[in-house]
Amino acid sequence: MNRQDVAADRILSLTLKAGAYTAFALVIAGLLLRAVTPWGITIAKAGLLVLLATPALRIVVACIQFFREHDKRYALVSLGVLGIVILAYCLGIQT
Amino acid sequence: MTLAAVLLLILIGFCAGGFGALAGVGGGIIVTPLLAIYFGLPMHQAIGITLLCVIATSTATSSLYVERHVTDVRLGMTLELATTTGALIAALIAHEINRRTLAILFACFLFYSSVSMIKKAWNSRNKEREETIPDYTPQNYPLGLAASLLAGGFSGLLGIGGGPVKVPVMFLFMKVPLRVAAATSNFMIGVTAATSAYIYWGRGDVRVDMAAPLVAGVFTGSLLGARISPKVRSFYILLLLIGITGWLALQMTYKLLAGGFR
Repeated sequence: MNRQDVAADRILSLTLKAGAYTAFALVIAGLLLRAVTPWGITIAKAGLLVLLATPALRIVVACIQFFREHDKRYALVSLGVLGIVILAYCLGIQT
Repeated sequence: MTLAAVLLLILIGFCAGGFGALAGVGGGIIVTPLLAIYFGLPMHQAIGITLLCVIATSTATSSLYVERHVTDVRLGMTLELATTTGALIAALIAHEINRRTLAILFACFLFYSSVSMIKKAWNSRNKEREETIPDYTPQNYPLGLAASLLAGGFSGLLGIGGGPVKVPVMFLFMKVPLRVAAATSNFMIGVTAATSAYIYWGRGDVRVDMAAPLVAGVFTGSLLGARISPKVRSFYILLLLIGITGWLALQMTYKLLAGGFR
């Protein structure tokens, strides 16, 4: 494994962590606040939406990484996966 | 929902996430039947909520595995072309399938998982953990993609990760080391589950009041589990999971025979 891949792995891991902890913090805050304000459930819902968005975000990050490494083949593969995920989003959440 | 129910859901999530990360299997498998049998949720809702738990486990644990360079990101991305396609198609079809049929499929899957976990436990009785990862080049992509399409389909239909399909195929036919196969499968599960979760969420099959405490528990459990997993022997946890899965399979069968899940 070369140095570029190690750096790419770190950025990818950071993306996943950022998404996971943001979602977790919002969900916990929502659960606690639910006792005092009706906004609690909305905050928890926002946390779940962050959770839903994180996998898509990590495809975008990986795709950018592959482009920067001039790894066209895998950049295209990531774009393909992103396309299917966006299609699912449009068919699901948008409608 | 009462406070007791919220706490119970957090606990269920914690156990599912923790056991899953420790034993190296998806913990989502115990969430769906618990919600369907004991909380009386319709199968579609139980599956929608489980998909979120599955994304939580995958996101929480794969950040650690990617950091440790166990995950093959290129292989994962390639196979995701197939898993997401399968997941999208299956999630669209799942709505047309009635609850009872889904419950029957799920019960079959629970039995299958119990058996495959028993095999896994038998094989790992007294094996040393493989520490270094040997050099490898993934082979047989067509078969890997076909298996991934199937795994994605199961994920979209039943809300599970599809690890029991992907890991053996990567290990046996694509010649990928077992640890890499497990980490890569776990990595793919997040995107796969998210694809079908968008469809379930759009249909209103994800109840936020129940999903939030479960997800909070799953996060905590799987992060803790993944951190202590190198120090813990997975054998006994696997036995415990076999017990729970087997029990839930019997409970679902009993409820089906009694005419439930309508």
